[in-house]
Amino acid sequence: MKKFGRRRGDPQCVPGQNGHSSAQVRLHGAHKSSIEIVRRRLLLGAGLFTVAFFVLSMRLVEVALFNEVRPSNAVNEEVETRDGPARADITDRNGVILATSLATRSLYADPQDVRSSASAAARLAEVLPEIDLKTVMARLSSDKRFVWLKRHLTPRQVAAVNALGEPGFRFLEEQRRVYPHGSLVVHAVGYAKLDNRGLSGLERTYDKRLLSHPNKPLTLSIDLRFQHVMHEELARAILLHHPVGAVGIILDIASGGLRAIVSLPDFNPNESGSVDQDVLFNRATLGTYEMGSTFKVFTTAMALDTGVATLQDGFDVSEPLRLARHVIRDFHGEGRWLSVPEIFIHSSNIGAAKMALAVGGDIQREFLARLGLLDRSQIELPEIAAPRYPKQWKDINTATIGFGHGIAVSPVQLCAGIASLINGGFWRSPTLLVENEKLNPAERVVSRVTSRAMRQLLRLAVTHGTGQNAEVAGYRVGGKTGTAEKVGPKGYDRSRVLSSFVGVFPISAPRYLVFVMLDEPKGAPATHGYVTGGWTAAPVVGRVIARIGPMSGIAPAVEGTAKDEFSTTVVKLDGDEIRLAAY
Amino acid sequence: MAEARLGPKPSQMSLVDKLGRISWGLIFLTSVIACIGFGMLYSAADGNMNPWASRQILRFAAGLIVVLVIAVIDIRIWMRWAYVIYVATLATLFAVEFFGLIGMGAQRWLYFGWFQLQPSELMKIALVLALARYFHRMTLDDARRPALLVTPILMLLAPMVLVLRQPDLGTAAMLVVGAGAIFFVSGVALRYFAIGGAIAAAGVPIAWQFLREYQRERILTFLNPEADPLGAGYHILQSKIALGSGGLFGRGFMHGTQSHLSFLPEHQTDFIFTMLAEELGLVGAATLIGLYVLLFAYGFAIALRARNHFGRLLGIGLTTTLFLYVFINIAMVVGLIPVVGVPLPLISYGGTAMITVLFSLGLLMCVFVHRDEQINRLTS
Repeated sequence: MKKFGRRRGDPQCVPGQNGHSSAQVRLHGAHKSSIEIVRRRLLLGAGLFTVAFFVLSMRLVEVALFNEVRPSNAVNEEVETRDGPARADITDRNGVILATSLATRSLYADPQDVRSSASAAARLAEVLPEIDLKTVMARLSSDKRFVWLKRHLTPRQVAAVNALGEPGFRFLEEQRRVYPHGSLVVHAVGYAKLDNRGLSGLERTYDKRLLSHPNKPLTLSIDLRFQHVMHEELARAILLHHPVGAVGIILDIASGGLRAIVSLPDFNPNESGSVDQDVLFNRATLGTYEMGSTFKVFTTAMALDTGVATLQDGFDVSEPLRLARHVIRDFHGEGRWLSVPEIFIHSSNIGAAKMALAVGGDIQREFLARLGLLDRSQIELPEIAAPRYPKQWKDINTATIGFGHGIAVSPVQLCAGIASLINGGFWRSPTLLVENEKLNPAERVVSRVTSRAMRQLLRLAVTHGTGQNAEVAGYRVGGKTGTAEKVGPKGYDRSRVLSSFVGVFPISAPRYLVFVMLDEPKGAPATHGYVTGGWTAAPVVGRVIARIGPMSGIAPAVEGTAKDEFSTTVVKLDGDEIRLAAY
Repeated sequence: MAEARLGPKPSQMSLVDKLGRISWGLIFLTSVIACIGFGMLYSAADGNMNPWASRQILRFAAGLIVVLVIAVIDIRIWMRWAYVIYVATLATLFAVEFFGLIGMGAQRWLYFGWFQLQPSELMKIALVLALARYFHRMTLDDARRPALLVTPILMLLAPMVLVLRQPDLGTAAMLVVGAGAIFFVSGVALRYFAIGGAIAAAGVPIAWQFLREYQRERILTFLNPEADPLGAGYHILQSKIALGSGGLFGRGFMHGTQSHLSFLPEHQTDFIFTMLAEELGLVGAATLIGLYVLLFAYGFAIALRARNHFGRLLGIGLTTTLFLYVFINIAMVVGLIPVVGVPLPLISYGGTAMITVLFSLGLLMCVFVHRDEQINRLTS
């Protein structure tokens, strides 16, 4: 400023000073006015500049001090947080976690903020190679304001996507449902998928409860150890016999609590993608099957309990039974008079039919209804099928239902029914929850005497009958085989059977019912090509009992050591008279 | 009396005399502003001299020497070469526009080995030089004759059309306003400005057709930035947030959140003022604006002080150009005008802007050094 200051006295140089006009006097007129105009306009320009800067300054003050957009807004909104609904854990009866929720982040995009969908998709594919480039590109090109790109990213993936710096990519905090045991309990637990909503199993039944009480785990009656044993043994049976499906159930006889429930094939609920209907199908509850000979347990119990027959009575099975246009035959007809125990252990259809007919259709129907076989099971799963049986309960129906045909029930129903016959005579609804197990109301269906007789008969079937392959050293097993021909296009098909075995152990004081069913097993060298329940399902039950027996803390029994091993009840069996076990 | 006040004739004015007539106050002021720029670039790199501050210092140092060299070159030489410079610049602009320095796409750069230059930047000075020379020999009466206005209008339109083709709205606006300042000071009747303004207003819908999508978006965004806060409105909203975040005294040097957390785009170039306002607050921003106002006061004073018409016109044209840089940039970041890529002189990182600004200051200084020279308006 010094240089300007030095000339401040110079009238020609200082704008706006009156003095300078005197210096201009001598100048040419036009030139003078020109200078004047130039000066005036220069000053006007300077004035405009000043106004401009004034406006600028005011605006700056406004924005800096009276700004409606506060930094807190934008900075914090960058990471959008929407707490996904936390979902309670599901555990087995011992507290082992079967389903839990992990906080994850899911990637979505606002396509309007994505500058180039092609390059954004390509860059995303570099860090998330599993995405489908075309799909992502199509989504990014849409005019929606929200498109999912990938759900449930790992922290490492989140960091990689963030590093792309694409402003259109955002994250939503979500909860991912994780099943630490994969497919092991999938049909009971079910699964919850992307939106954290239960889609099947208990996840679906207790969807609201799991969401509304996220800190209260759902404790199942399932014992994961039993479940594992059953799953493994069934899987082995599948490798051996290649059935189309298999069911395994372990039921606590005293409480009705299910300790294991397996339906194969199954699926891993942790894997993404759609679930095939076949693997989603819970054969234990949603499948209904003509169970065949295992139904003879009901018929026999019914005959004994109603007093229509005693263990000493018998029926003539020498001739096929003709009813209306139907003929009932036995597989391997003994062709003679059979005692009730013989009918049971040799699994005589004619005998069972005659027993049922002797009781009568109405009583039979009422009896089966009491055992919960004519209604939908009350088990806590959404996948429950209603049993199928004839509306008009004629004699032929009574006869066939007597040996388990003409009625289709779900395996879990069958198990609950049989359990009620051997636990002293109390029926309880099968349950998957510990809390329901404790409060499970019991309903007497048969007398203690009948129940005891049933235990004896079941034991007899393993020691002398078709269930010998289920015998386990140290654990006295009782049980009944079932081999039902499946209905094909032309009536019953001998080559396609449903083989099952229902075992109870220890038969002296039954704790668990173990049921195994193989749907269309194929013969194997180890079973000499047989596909019957005694050859395919019974060994599986035996192996399961051999493994879960020690787990349950049941002391092995040594044959012949029990004081009251044999009862005074004597029955005729294949020409011998034997004393039944003292159960 | 006039003769007595004349300084030595150009031939008689030695280099030492010329250096003595240089306004060292202006040099000092320029350096102060530039130093604020270095500080901001240091902060923008999170407390590093690299990559920006160190290079900017080197450029400025070299540029100061250029300023002095330009300042001591006889103003008559600049006047004599004004048209040549203009035509040469127009030719390069034309070449770059139409031949695009093959393969450079949208970027309109000239490469001179170690540095690159946008001809459009250079044109801001070349046009001022050429118009100053043209109007230098015109009397006030001449300036009122429409026929004589055709040539300067064409001189303006030629580069403007080329620049608009790019399209570079900021540069075009600066060319028009810079040239308009010279027209204005030359005494062109105010009605022509009214006519020009009317034509420009009528041309807006036509011009809209030629605008690229992003430019339309910028203008629409300017009108309503909140409409698309994460898209086109992002820059300006983040900028406003940063300004608000700074408040009166700022968040402290190197403590700006918006800029350091990369919310603010281009915080080392076009949006550096925002960063400054956030870190140094309204007080810091006002101080910088005050320094700029002082700089323009120097410019006006130099224009007023010049005793030759060429110098006067050159002074006002260059001052206007510098003013426009500052005004457009700050008005942009505070959301007064749409986003246009105009840097903040001496502060923003970038070689081209630095060269243009220092070249302007050099010429301004040249006007001041030769403030007492008389240049015959009819013969030169």
